[in-house]
Amino acid sequence: MPDSNVKEVLERFPNTWIDRDNFAMFEGFLEKRMLINRCQDCQKYFQPPWPSCPNCWSENVEPTEVSGNGVVHTFVILHTGALVGVEGVDYMKGYPLLVVELEEQEGLRVTGPMVNCANEDIRIGMPVRLNWIERQGHPVPAFQPA
Amino acid sequence: MSPRFPVRDQVAIVGVGTTPFSRDAGKSDIALAVEASKNAIRDAGLTKNDIDGVSATMLGVQHVQAALGLEKLTYFLNCFPTFSQQIVNAMNAVFSGVCDTVLCYHTVAVSPNNSRAAAADPFRIRAASGGLSRPPSPWPDSLAFPPSYAAWANRYFHEYDAKREWLGLIAINSRTNAMRNEHAVMRAPLTMEDYFAARMVRGPLFGMLDMDYPVDGADAFVVTTAERAKDLPNKPVLIHSAVLGQTNCTVEEILPDLEHSAHQVVMDALWARSELSLQDIDLFQPYDGFSFICLKWFESVGYCGVGEAGPFLEDNWDKEENRILIGGRVPANTHGGSLSDGGTQGSGHIREAVLQLQGKAGNHQHPGLKSALLGVGGFFPYSGGLILRTE
Ligand SMILES: [Zn+2]
Repeated sequence: MPDSNVKEVLERFPNTWIDRDNFAMFEGFLEKRMLINRCQDCQKYFQPPWPSCPNCWSENVEPTEVSGNGVVHTFVILHTGALVGVEGVDYMKGYPLLVVELEEQEGLRVTGPMVNCANEDIRIGMPVRLNWIERQGHPVPAFQPA
Repeated sequence: MSPRFPVRDQVAIVGVGTTPFSRDAGKSDIALAVEASKNAIRDAGLTKNDIDGVSATMLGVQHVQAALGLEKLTYFLNCFPTFSQQIVNAMNAVFSGVCDTVLCYHTVAVSPNNSRAAAADPFRIRAASGGLSRPPSPWPDSLAFPPSYAAWANRYFHEYDAKREWLGLIAINSRTNAMRNEHAVMRAPLTMEDYFAARMVRGPLFGMLDMDYPVDGADAFVVTTAERAKDLPNKPVLIHSAVLGQTNCTVEEILPDLEHSAHQVVMDALWARSELSLQDIDLFQPYDGFSFICLKWFESVGYCGVGEAGPFLEDNWDKEENRILIGGRVPANTHGGSLSDGGTQGSGHIREAVLQLQGKAGNHQHPGLKSALLGVGGFFPYSGGLILRTE
């Protein structure tokens, strides 16, 4: 990771816990690419981005771009949370937070808000695809109905 | 082969102390910890010179040690709530002989996010600002902590066709019990209509009455050997079985399902180390930081099968008393739980179990209780369980 990239990523995410293990994920966000660590030995994806494979302990791990296609595993409509006053987050109306199971692997799940869908229309099991929203000066992964 | 558990019945809780619970105590966290700790040590018939270990949640032991003037400690530990690790750690320390008598404490405080008044309190703002710490999940929109329970409850409701009334029964049970407990903060009668009318906080399932009630306060305990307990004034409450539990799914969204959570780790290990079984239990204290955690504990300890907690509550609901009496006999969360006594991450559940087993629960004493089962914690890290008994 070149110093210039580190500086930029840290500047673009000023209030986020960023370390050597999860750096690539945030670097990917800036390019609107969802990168998930994948073990090059056992081929399993895993997250969060631990430094070595929790399955086989291999250190041969690559942040690997995923499609972002998946289904809603569960969700919650938040009327309170840490993003008070942030643009695009309306806790009065309800901020829809999804757990999405990605098509790449059973049990591989990530989180993000739902966009382009009324809160009342969100269902467990519905197919979604990746979208990106701009928030607090950087892209954030979000999902919309597929 | 049953696991070895040489500590069984060898360590006792001999003192308990608390503070009044309120929305604004006007005191520091240290002041509250000191108040509850002094009460617990005095209740045990001990003095500060008897305390040689401290096991606490995240308020630094060194500060409280200094404030209480505990001259020498040979054991000390801070670790996260829920409040069960602190008791297990104390038990281990006493049994191993690292120390003889451990003070355990836990303080809670209304955070600036909890109310407008708290948000205007500069001391709370400063305490909450702090530096960044590592979150469970790095995702910008993570389930970290509270949202995870609402999300997993939603999954459970989807799989088992659950009804929100089931969560309502948990809230009503806690409130009915709290009405008889003078220590509890929320003591107004609660109906199912009130439950459904509460403001939605984490939809579609969690309203205001599904979440613990934030308070300023503290609880404290004294733990020592069963041998020493015989010479002390209180009826000893023996730690019959105690374990902690968590799985490797420390990030909430990757939990495979609710049948492979910390609850199962806790209960498998807790029963394996116990000579008692569920039928022997006289008091059930399932943690209710969220109503759904409490609902799930009924399944996790084995009162009913997976997805059956709601019908089980309905079958074991005493209409006259307007609360749960399992098999017409065993009450649950007799102090009002975190939902109505006040949110304590579990220390209130243990305080209540000790008082009930000592026969010191006052107005809300149940006669003749000899054993208590405590599920203290949720599905993710820092969960635990205890079985307490008296002879
Ligand atoms: Zn691997």
